[in-house]
Amino acid sequence: MNNEAFSSLEGISVQVENPELETGNFQSILMEIKFSLEQLLEQKKSHIIDLRAMPWSPGEEHKLEKYLGKGEVHIELDALGKSTFYETSYSGIWVVTHYSEDGAVIAKAIEITYMPEMVFSQDEEIKDSLERFEKL
Amino acid sequence: MNEQTLFELLQQQGVSRRGFLKYCTALTSLMALPASMIPTVAHALESARRPSVIWLSFQECTGCAESLLRSHSPTIEGLIFDHISLDYQHTLQAAAGDAAEHAREQAIKDNYGKYLVVVDGSIPLADPGYSTIAGMSNLDMLNETLTGAAAVIAVGTCSAYGGLPQADPNPTGAVSVSSLVKDKPVINVPGCPPIPTVITGVLAHYLTFGSIPELDSLGRPKVFYGQSIHDRCYRRPFYDKGLFAETFDDEGAKKGWCLYRLGCKGPMTYNACATLKWNQQTSWPVESGHGCLGCSEPDFWDAGSFYNALSIPDGDYTRAAGYAVATGVVLGAAVGFTNQKTKATAAAQHTNVTVDDFSLNKKNK
Ligand code: SF4
Ligand code: SF4
Repeated sequence: MNNEAFSSLEGISVQVENPELETGNFQSILMEIKFSLEQLLEQKKSHIIDLRAMPWSPGEEHKLEKYLGKGEVHIELDALGKSTFYETSYSGIWVVTHYSEDGAVIAKAIEITYMPEMVFSQDEEIKDSLERFEKL
Repeated sequence: MNEQTLFELLQQQGVSRRGFLKYCTALTSLMALPASMIPTVAHALESARRPSVIWLSFQECTGCAESLLRSHSPTIEGLIFDHISLDYQHTLQAAAGDAAEHAREQAIKDNYGKYLVVVDGSIPLADPGYSTIAGMSNLDMLNETLTGAAAVIAVGTCSAYGGLPQADPNPTGAVSVSSLVKDKPVINVPGCPPIPTVITGVLAHYLTFGSIPELDSLGRPKVFYGQSIHDRCYRRPFYDKGLFAETFDDEGAKKGWCLYRLGCKGPMTYNACATLKWNQQTSWPVESGHGCLGCSEPDFWDAGSFYNALSIPDGDYTRAAGYAVATGVVLGAAVGFTNQKTKATAAAQHTNVTVDDFSLNKKNK
């Protein structure tokens, strides 16, 4: 199978042909995001919404991304394939997409957080860095 | 069982901590667990060992194995596959004949009590000669392989419920795995074929937690088969409003209306297609304009034409549709029930698909 062909489908922006054809998930996600933002501010509690776990009509997911827009921060990670993290035009709301080594989306989520956990340097590896420095 | 943990194996391959967390994130999503479980999954995988898997193929078309193996690699599915020790799969392994059978016997001996058995295909009981491997009947091979197994995963509708080989008149006397295995946990992963991510999701669950996921009354993992296609279908608002496509190319079809009258079996079918989708989440049958065939349900081949709406036997859709506007959800459940009944009638009468089924002029029927 030509995986390139599949991943390049991502690039085609799909328009919802029939606005009646919507699951209602768009509205409920916005509600969930609003609630999570309140929680983040008041309790410092992050929240992840797995976009793979719900049904979407064609183009609906794209509509959500367009609605949230793109903000100032865009981070790219290269571990077991690419991952992208970008803050949306709403501060505290991030879109996180994980790709496999051949460019297929393997997980996609909206994270309501100060910074997605995975971006931070990881303790285990900082320890490893220290050991390497000690050997110098 | 391989003594190396999965985490050690990933480390050896040069995968960073972030890579490992990414793997856990994708796996958590794959297992349909909430994202808050990612740390738990990571913790469990740090000490998880590679389970030995023996894969038996009986009366099957290899579509189920193809669904998984051709899905896409290297991806999370590929990684799961790297992290089980697939000790026997006669389509894939290089060894053949006696050498292959010895590999199976060795895996049983080395991992006694701990290995997983995956079965695709049904087992013929009418005459063992219908399907044999290395001169051994499917039944004997199943019984021998199961002696030390921790659990069996019946992959595909043939293995889970008898499937196509069992369809009327069932010439080979085909039966499912669960009708033969009573002393081991059997996990049914039906579908014709099953969604690859569902197959790997079940393997991942065992790999991560060392246990089997919660099952429904038909032996299917509830996380993937807990809701009907109809309940998660994005065309559902049209169903509730009574807006149905009548033919595959009418205005309704173009507007994406409900495919119920074109034979969609979504209301009685429990599967994850509406959320997980197919071909790397590109689309799924209803999104491509074709009704659900009900492929993850027992006896779906004998449930009458794929293009006849089964639920309202006399074709009085208008009344049903009118009713649907008021009580969409309740009707959904009722439709499921009526469908079961009609399905049984269709199975008893064994209706064949005729060219008329494709004319789709059902209103006047
Ligand atoms: S009948 Fe089929 S197309 Fe219509 S809402 Fe149900 S699952 Fe979707
Ligand atoms: S939509 Fe229905 S028939 Fe098609 S794969 Fe899914 S469960 Fe099977």
